[in-house]
Amino acid sequence: MVVQTPNGFTLDNSGRRVVVDPVTRIEGHMRCEVNLDENNVIRNAVSTGTMWRGLEVILKGRDPRDAWAFTERICGVCTGTHALTSVRAVEDALGITIPENANSIRNLMQLALEIHDHVVHFYHLHALDWVNPINALKADPKATSELQQAVSPSHPLSSPGYFRDVQNRLKKFVESGQLGLFKNGYWTNPAYKLPPEADLMAVTHYLEALDLQKEIVKIHTIFGGKNPHPNWLVGGVPCPINVDGTGAVGAINMERLNLVKSIIDMTMEFNRNVYIPDVKAIGSFYKSWLYGGGLSSRACLAYGDIPERANDFSAENLHLPRGAIINGKLDEVHDVDLRDPEQVREYVDHSWYEYDQPGVSLHPWEGETRPRYELGPNAKGTKTNIIELDEGGKYSWIKAPRWKGHAMEVGPLARYIVGYAKGHERIREQVDGFLSDLDLPFEAIFSTLGRTAARALESLYCCELQLHFYDKLVTNIRNGDTTTANVEKWDPSTWPKEAKGVGQTEAPRGALGHWIVIKDGKIENYQCVVPTTWNGSPRDPAGNIGAFEASLMNTPVERAEEPVEILRTIHSFDPCLACSTH
Amino acid sequence: MTDTVRDQQSSCVSIYVYEVPVRIWHWTNALAITVLAVTGYFIGSPPPSMGTGEAYDQFIFGYIRFTHFAAGYILAVAWIGRIYWAFVGNHHARELFYLPVWDRRWWQDLFTVVRWYLFLERQPKAFVGHNPLARLAMFFFFTLGVTFMIFTGFALYSEGAGQGSWQDALFGWVIPLFGQSQDVHTLHHLGMWWIIIFVIIHVYVAIREDIMSRTTIVSTMISGERTFKDGNPD
Amino acid sequence: MQTETFYDVMRRQGITRRSFMKFCSLTAAALGLGPAFVPKIAHAMQTKPRTPVIWVHGLECTCCSESFIRSAHPLAKDVVLSMISLDYDDTLMAAAGHQAEAAFEDTIEKYKGNYILAVEGNPPLNEDGMFCIVGGKPFVDQLRRAAEHAKAIISWGACASYGCVQAARPNPTRATPVHKVITDKPIIKVPGCPPIAEVMTGVITYMLTFDRLPELDRQGRPKMFYSQRIHDKCYRRPHFDAGQFVESWDDENARKGYCLYKMGCKGPTTYNACSTIRWNDGVSFPIQSGHGCIGCSEDGFWDNGSFYDRLTNIKQFGIEANADEVGLAAAGVVGAGVAVHAAVSALKRAQMKRQGAVPEKISEEA
Ligand code: HEM
Ligand code: HEM
Ligand code: NFV
Ligand code: SF4
Ligand code: SF4
Ligand code: F3S
Ligand SMILES: [Mg+2]
Repeated sequence: MVVQTPNGFTLDNSGRRVVVDPVTRIEGHMRCEVNLDENNVIRNAVSTGTMWRGLEVILKGRDPRDAWAFTERICGVCTGTHALTSVRAVEDALGITIPENANSIRNLMQLALEIHDHVVHFYHLHALDWVNPINALKADPKATSELQQAVSPSHPLSSPGYFRDVQNRLKKFVESGQLGLFKNGYWTNPAYKLPPEADLMAVTHYLEALDLQKEIVKIHTIFGGKNPHPNWLVGGVPCPINVDGTGAVGAINMERLNLVKSIIDMTMEFNRNVYIPDVKAIGSFYKSWLYGGGLSSRACLAYGDIPERANDFSAENLHLPRGAIINGKLDEVHDVDLRDPEQVREYVDHSWYEYDQPGVSLHPWEGETRPRYELGPNAKGTKTNIIELDEGGKYSWIKAPRWKGHAMEVGPLARYIVGYAKGHERIREQVDGFLSDLDLPFEAIFSTLGRTAARALESLYCCELQLHFYDKLVTNIRNGDTTTANVEKWDPSTWPKEAKGVGQTEAPRGALGHWIVIKDGKIENYQCVVPTTWNGSPRDPAGNIGAFEASLMNTPVERAEEPVEILRTIHSFDPCLACSTH
Repeated sequence: MTDTVRDQQSSCVSIYVYEVPVRIWHWTNALAITVLAVTGYFIGSPPPSMGTGEAYDQFIFGYIRFTHFAAGYILAVAWIGRIYWAFVGNHHARELFYLPVWDRRWWQDLFTVVRWYLFLERQPKAFVGHNPLARLAMFFFFTLGVTFMIFTGFALYSEGAGQGSWQDALFGWVIPLFGQSQDVHTLHHLGMWWIIIFVIIHVYVAIREDIMSRTTIVSTMISGERTFKDGNPD
Repeated sequence: MQTETFYDVMRRQGITRRSFMKFCSLTAAALGLGPAFVPKIAHAMQTKPRTPVIWVHGLECTCCSESFIRSAHPLAKDVVLSMISLDYDDTLMAAAGHQAEAAFEDTIEKYKGNYILAVEGNPPLNEDGMFCIVGGKPFVDQLRRAAEHAKAIISWGACASYGCVQAARPNPTRATPVHKVITDKPIIKVPGCPPIAEVMTGVITYMLTFDRLPELDRQGRPKMFYSQRIHDKCYRRPHFDAGQFVESWDDENARKGYCLYKMGCKGPTTYNACSTIRWNDGVSFPIQSGHGCIGCSEDGFWDNGSFYDRLTNIKQFGIEANADEVGLAAAGVVGAGVAVHAAVSALKRAQMKRQGAVPEKISEEA
């Protein structure tokens, strides 16, 4: 059957159905089904969130000041971003303002998460879609060293001996016959295009990044006591500042600040010398593989984040841009209002939930989460053994959020497209620079590669912002302000009987909102609309497909039984299924 | 041992009910519980922070907790002594530990006492030992209550004493039984109120009975003698 | 099949015998073992092939995996490349779909009885298990299949050990900890939300090094890391004993690093190694960064009242009040009852006295 979706895709489910379940190297549980035509080109795509925990149900009746800890456990990968969104939602509802220092510290933490998540995603979740570690065994260490010096002259780890050691280690590993994580990979698939030297360089950086990522998060440890899942506080941050008084050792003091600074510097170096050059180097071999654009050229959404001054969420005050682009019109960026009942709404017609009536959507303040698991009439298999899903019925634990009725892509690429369209200087400079280095036209950004590149560029930009907020924090302390929390409305007896609020962040994977309704000091309703809810969205009653599904459309596949192209494009979103369904 | 009827001449009959160890235990126990309740309350809700000096200069919370533990040990040891006395003491010494639920007479008496407290009986019945209602209350509120407090108290204590300590060996299992440490804290804390409620009623009734009933009460726990004001120990 | 030992790999990486021995003594120290154990560790690492590990994921947030890769000693890369053979882990493995399922089956078939099963997250049992689906089937099936032939099971984190956040009231999916589903295998619980990275790698290396399961406490947690409370080794403990508390966020006392007891710190009721091993290579831990412990390694910590109350609400009775509120209310009712009863008694007595029916007092006889 061939159908035309309102958002501009032609779906044809007549060809061979290929199922990928589990989709691996993502957070959580996901399934993907596609139909291939006779030329192995994807003509229909179905993406399914295959887990649900019910956090929105669990949050009801609890103390709003505790909500950050519950929502933080929505995800341990983007750990912290839900907590930040949650404290913002509660503060918004209760009219609590936070001190400037708390804003700077929160930004430092949020940026650390952004960078950490991007680095780990690229090297440990995404790289194996582009990089063939087995092929790296064929590399000449000397040539690899030259390649390294060419792409990144200032990276110190570049000697032939260094690469030989890594290669030897890899060789022994492979020869041991215990392939571990590399077992059953698609290593003979021609979809892999790197020369052995680039493969070896990338595998080496896989290991370097593994060592480095544990350093980046120490910023969370300093301010929040641990990572994953640092601690947050409604009204500010829990860590007091004491730079020269008695007992300063238990607070943020000079030693702690120096540690923060050294981590920022180290992270910046890695992003400049390794991450960005790697993406460019790998990208240069995949320049002709510009599939996977999906919704990015048509509908992008960003809420914006990283407020310069505390308590001001107007678009001008945000370093990461806010705006919505629809119908592919880059010259018209709409403002986004999360309180507007007409903007963000969720459908559940194709999701395993039910509302009182079919075909309706709800704004999150009125949102409902009532599970209802059932397969569509044309599904194959049984309730507990799904062979093929029926996308005509309910088929995912992910709800279908829409912005003014549009399915939207969110995430680093969406942010960069919105930022570019709005004339964000640093973003323009980065995007233009990257494209010209690879000698690609602007349209190339609307692709799987573009998504991966935007993430890398954003990671570096976040390092720069970290430096800015570090300076800001130090300056503020120098000026005598050491306040980190506002406790005026800590006590629930100071709260109104009823209140509503919304919190927003730009999570690593995109626009994140939490909507809270507080009644008698307790949570009356709590709804999260999460980046991967947007990207992984199933169809809506009008038939619009979501970003994952759209991105797979019309991609040719080398070998139907080895889904590396599907993985590559799906991974470029950095899916987080625990987040998407929560 | 049987009750000793000491004085038969007067209309006022005295019977030796509470032997010395029971009386010593009673007042030790009352004191320990008072101390435990006060210190226990502060363990849950510490007084405002005191002093700004070096931490080693003061040990206020440490002393509060130490006092609690010391009183806890006294309570527990006294309770063991009291249990011992149930075996060797007079038959009143055993009343605290079981209820003669198989005894029709006991049930009848119980209802009579309940009626008396509901102002439905004109004359209270006099009892040599505890009246059945008192006995019921003491068994549920006190015997079970104090045992619970000792078990949960030592379980909490074992957390500090450490795995492998005798407290842990004897009482450590209590913690997973109730969930986790925080649950045991909460239940131990509730137990305090359980016992406080007993004490309120107990002291009220003791004084009231002393005034209104046919027997001495308060002084019994001091002298050990139960005096029947109308000379009729029945 | 040629199997490579940990030592081989280190040597081929250009690591000298000396630094290998140093590594062994660091490992010994990290495990809290004396120098006598160093040769034993070295021997184990020189002779053993890598132990296969199957790492499955149920309902969870993946923070346990994230924590694991933060391990500083040993480094996560050394664990994965040289100490174990991570043959199945949906979060990190290259293969997907059928190839991933094949890797799972192969490992079970090939290493029956010899692999370690690591479980992150837990199976939901409602909706026939379809709140968590892997390969079109309920996760609980995958868990049972992997457990059947496992040598031992590690329950990572609060999810696998106790249920964690998805099992918090009302637990809509009936998320169930591993030991309630798998009852015939040794299970090592490594609780925490997440557990500390070095605790995770410490548990694994202990098992590889000594070829036995760590000694467990009553609740199935390794004693070496879970036998004491945060509070027992908290560096703010002197302030606790001194009665010096943070009274409100960011007050003078907070800046001096006083005890967080009054801010709801659950350190006194939480068994974990945070106050000693600390987090992320010893950088800090929750209390050091100014927030109380929320008790994240304890059973059911989500339903034990607010993280900011010392006296928490009493869930057992579904009461929205703490022990003092409940107790005071009950004592109040009883006290009022007593007062009324006393008043009525006094009235009755006066009445009866007028009627001359009061038993005479002793004084009247004397
Ligand atoms: C924390 C405070 C107290 C506790 C826990 C407590 C507990 C007890 C217990 C368990 C008994 C039963 C003794 C036995 O059968 O071995 C008892 C008897 C008694 N207590 Fe207390 N007591 C307390 C305070 C007091 C006070 C303040 C008084 C006096 C005003 C008092 C007067 C008596 C009397 C008169 C008896 C004997 C009752 C009878 O003969 O039926 N008690 N008490
Ligand atoms: C009638 C007897 C007792 C009463 C009324 C009582 C009362 C209390 C109360 C109210 C608390 C505070 C609980 C909280 O909210 O955290 C407490 C804690 C405690 N009690 Fe008791 N208790 C009694 C007997 C005992 C006994 C026999 C022991 C055994 C040694 C004991 C040991 C403890 C311990 C170890 C703690 C915890 C201290 C801490 O966390 O620092 N208690 N008690
Ligand atoms: N989707 C998503 Fe998250 C992110 N980034 C959160 O909001 O990943 Ni775990
Ligand atoms: S135990 Fe906590 S940290 Fe680990 S997966 Fe579960 S929610 Fe995440
Ligand atoms: S901060 Fe917490 S763990 Fe530390 S001493 Fe105080 S109550 Fe104990
Ligand atoms: S909250 Fe968890 S991380 Fe440690 S200090 Fe408490 S156990
Ligand atoms: Mg939601």
